[in-house]
Amino acid sequence: MRVEYINPFVEAAFNVLKEVLNADVRRGELYLKSTTMPVLGVAALVGLAGDVEGRVLFDMSKDTALAVASAMNGEQLPSLDELGKATITELANMITAQAVTKLHDLGFKFDLTPPALFTGENMEISDHEVEALIVPMEVPQGKIEINVAIRERA
Amino acid sequence: MKTKQDFPSINERAPDGKKEDGTPFRVLIVDDSMFVAKQIGQILTSEGYDVVASAADGEQGVEKYKELYPNIDLVTMDITMPKMDGITALEHIMNFDKNARVVMISALGKQDLVKKSLLLGARNYIVKPLDRKKVLERISQVLEK
Repeated sequence: MRVEYINPFVEAAFNVLKEVLNADVRRGELYLKSTTMPVLGVAALVGLAGDVEGRVLFDMSKDTALAVASAMNGEQLPSLDELGKATITELANMITAQAVTKLHDLGFKFDLTPPALFTGENMEISDHEVEALIVPMEVPQGKIEINVAIRERA
Repeated sequence: MKTKQDFPSINERAPDGKKEDGTPFRVLIVDDSMFVAKQIGQILTSEGYDVVASAADGEQGVEKYKELYPNIDLVTMDITMPKMDGITALEHIMNFDKNARVVMISALGKQDLVKKSLLLGARNYIVKPLDRKKVLERISQVLEK
């Protein structure tokens, strides 16, 4: 996978998380995952289709999701309820939108699907066609992994 | 405890959300994200605006506008929504009331749609993530005109 696809997501995630959480964000080391991978507990998935195709997954533990949603709402949410889920979905939306703007400026044209949110224990994602690059982001609420799998359309 | 006398007012500025006669501006929020709707609602309410209704898609937004009219001063309109998107809803509202004041709420990367909505009659736009200052500035600009 070309690094041009990744950087916009890293930058966008960094900027948006910093702004909405009003806190320090640290980027961890990138790494590659292939075939089947476990999901941390709450995952927002955005699909891409056009010149390039694939998906971006925002993956975090349930505790982190709840803490992030609470911080973004300015109040402690009792659980990852409807509002909490809408908050995480919107976070994925904002990050993807910003990244895609950058990719459009670089000349890549494609559309996005609305984010879908998955929650549950012991989930795995299997993707045999595309390898995924993981960008871990450390925020005060925990770790958010941004999992990008994009390829050029054949 | 005597309150009013004990605590002198240190904030002489009138809140943005009030008209000259002291009544609040009435706002309709159209957004499919519960989070964004709540965020806009909190920001506006804290400045004295009255959020009179909210709608979760464009179709509902147009219906609510027609119901509330003429007792409505401003609409915040998301762009990407199920059933009917914000641009189409804007067109319906402008056809119904050419003086409607609609502010678009957009994610980054939708410049073309924002331009289109401004041509169709939207008064201004706000790009997410929303911050309090930005939202209040843009909205009070629209209401001054």
